[in-house]
Amino acid sequence: MKFMENFRKGIPLLILVLLVICPFVFSSPYLLHIFILIFIWSYVTTVWSYMGRFGIISLGHGAFFGIGVYTTAILFNLYNISPWLGMLAGGLAAAAIAVVLGYSCFKFGVIGHYFAIATLVLAEIITLVIIALRDTLETGGKLGLTVRSLGTSPLFFQFENQLIFYYITLALLGLALLIWKKIDDSKVQRALKAVGEDEEAALSLGIDVVKYKTTMFAISAFMTALGGTAYIQFTMFADPTTCTGVGLSLGIVFKAIIGGMFTLWGPTIGSALIVVLEEYTRLALGSAFVSYSQIIYGLLIIILIRFLPGGLHGTLSDLFRQKREREVQVLLSGRQLADPHE
Amino acid sequence: MLILNAVINGLLFGGVLALMAFGMNLMFGVVQIVHLAYGQFIMVGLYLVYLLTVLYHVPLLLSCALATIAIALLSVLCYYSVVKPLLKAPPINQLLALAGLWIVLENACLAFFGATYKGVQVVLPVLHVGEVYIAASNLIGFGVGLITLGLLYLFLNKTYTGVAIRAVAQDAEVSGIMGINSRTIYLITFVVGGALAGITAACFVPVYAVHPHFGSAFTLLAFIIVILGGMGNLIGGFIGAFIIGVVTSVSSTLLNPEIGQIIALLICLLIIILRPQGLLGVRART
Repeated sequence: MKFMENFRKGIPLLILVLLVICPFVFSSPYLLHIFILIFIWSYVTTVWSYMGRFGIISLGHGAFFGIGVYTTAILFNLYNISPWLGMLAGGLAAAAIAVVLGYSCFKFGVIGHYFAIATLVLAEIITLVIIALRDTLETGGKLGLTVRSLGTSPLFFQFENQLIFYYITLALLGLALLIWKKIDDSKVQRALKAVGEDEEAALSLGIDVVKYKTTMFAISAFMTALGGTAYIQFTMFADPTTCTGVGLSLGIVFKAIIGGMFTLWGPTIGSALIVVLEEYTRLALGSAFVSYSQIIYGLLIIILIRFLPGGLHGTLSDLFRQKREREVQVLLSGRQLADPHE
Repeated sequence: MLILNAVINGLLFGGVLALMAFGMNLMFGVVQIVHLAYGQFIMVGLYLVYLLTVLYHVPLLLSCALATIAIALLSVLCYYSVVKPLLKAPPINQLLALAGLWIVLENACLAFFGATYKGVQVVLPVLHVGEVYIAASNLIGFGVGLITLGLLYLFLNKTYTGVAIRAVAQDAEVSGIMGINSRTIYLITFVVGGALAGITAACFVPVYAVHPHFGSAFTLLAFIIVILGGMGNLIGGFIGAFIIGVVTSVSSTLLNPEIGQIIALLICLLIIILRPQGLLGVRART
């Protein structure tokens, strides 16, 4: 048992070491590209699940991602401000919007699917604003914008070597997972879990629901925008369909659902699956057929929500946990555990 | 004069919008489900009309009728495959499953018809009364919208099935005790809702050339209207449609189309936060 316990704790470390060494073993630029995409989307999805796991479903994270992308790109293209500062500015802008929307929603009791709808509307508003600013701020409207290239310039977050992006995005993902853990161990987690289970009861126990939820929303939005900056510096091109809006928001939520939004590794597994699926169909069928992968993934969502609402990783780890609990129960010679879900 | 023009065309367009929002509203009122893929049904309807008229040379009116029937069937399929298994699930799961359907339909159209605009060439005159110019397409949409809504009113008030639908919308449990099978009523609601999406699509044929991304625009538009009038509040939705028709029409004439949409969406956001029961709704006492 002890060995198994240590082994389970060691797995993340092992994966981390493997991922750090990985680029030296496979130096194919294409593979690196895929890994970077997986890291970025896993990062964003994990950050989304900070809220999602407590039942605060945001369908507006595409907006925060887009704010990160476009703030950075506009500040750099028009005013020559370093994307490192743009990253901070984008993050703060996203957090500010999250605070305003979150505070007013939570204050007035807009929760559950009403909150989802409110954030969905936000996603659409931000997309339209970006399109409407096509001339004023040179966002390029629906056609998208390209970031001025400086070659390699660490001060301006531009690197020709993909390896650097590999480590930057890996570090971001590591950070996101670490914060997930921190939240999981904190008081906030217990408070929000109580809120997720029964909002009114939690309220009556004196938990400042509005404050906790708004804070979590702001953190999540801030970090999502950082992911946007990393994305635009990597691809150097942005357009409203891929970088913001309802489609992207749904994409983030679906990746989390497929992997399982209630577990640490669920969002990462979901994102990896989806990115690989998209790349595979693109390679196998040609880029004109990307929509086929989207069809598969839409169907997958419907099937998963219908049969496995806990997501792939969530359901599997539930099964393992039940098995483990049964073993523990046998060990305790039939004494019942107080709460099998704790 | 420009504004008067925009107001009148906006009001006329509101007739179609009312029809569009009615379907979504009916499903919300009766089945208690936010039909996130509703706009995609309208988009599929537009594609079907295009397919039948342009590629198979079916007369326009016949292809509109066929598309309406097809969308009603699609709606039934949607009910059995997505909605019915999730009736007891939390609302957020229903919402996300329907969002999945949104992705499926949008990309199916993208895969099948490509990302270019597809439209049926319908030449309709622009009428002018005094100095006001009215697009005949808006007038037809308005007429069809009002007639359909009138028929629906009769259906909901004068027939047994209609009354049963309203009873389920008011209280599914008690109407069950009264011997109404709510599952049958849900199915009928989806048929009616799907047919409404089809008719809306037919009204849109002279107005829009269709693109796979239009579905989400339709869904959001219907959504805004439904929220404005109060979810499940049919009369509120009717009035909301005309408000949104005029607001978007006037602001896109004076400013630009995006600003018009942004204003409509901001109104919608404010209403979700401040008056979730809608403009006409009565706040339930807690």
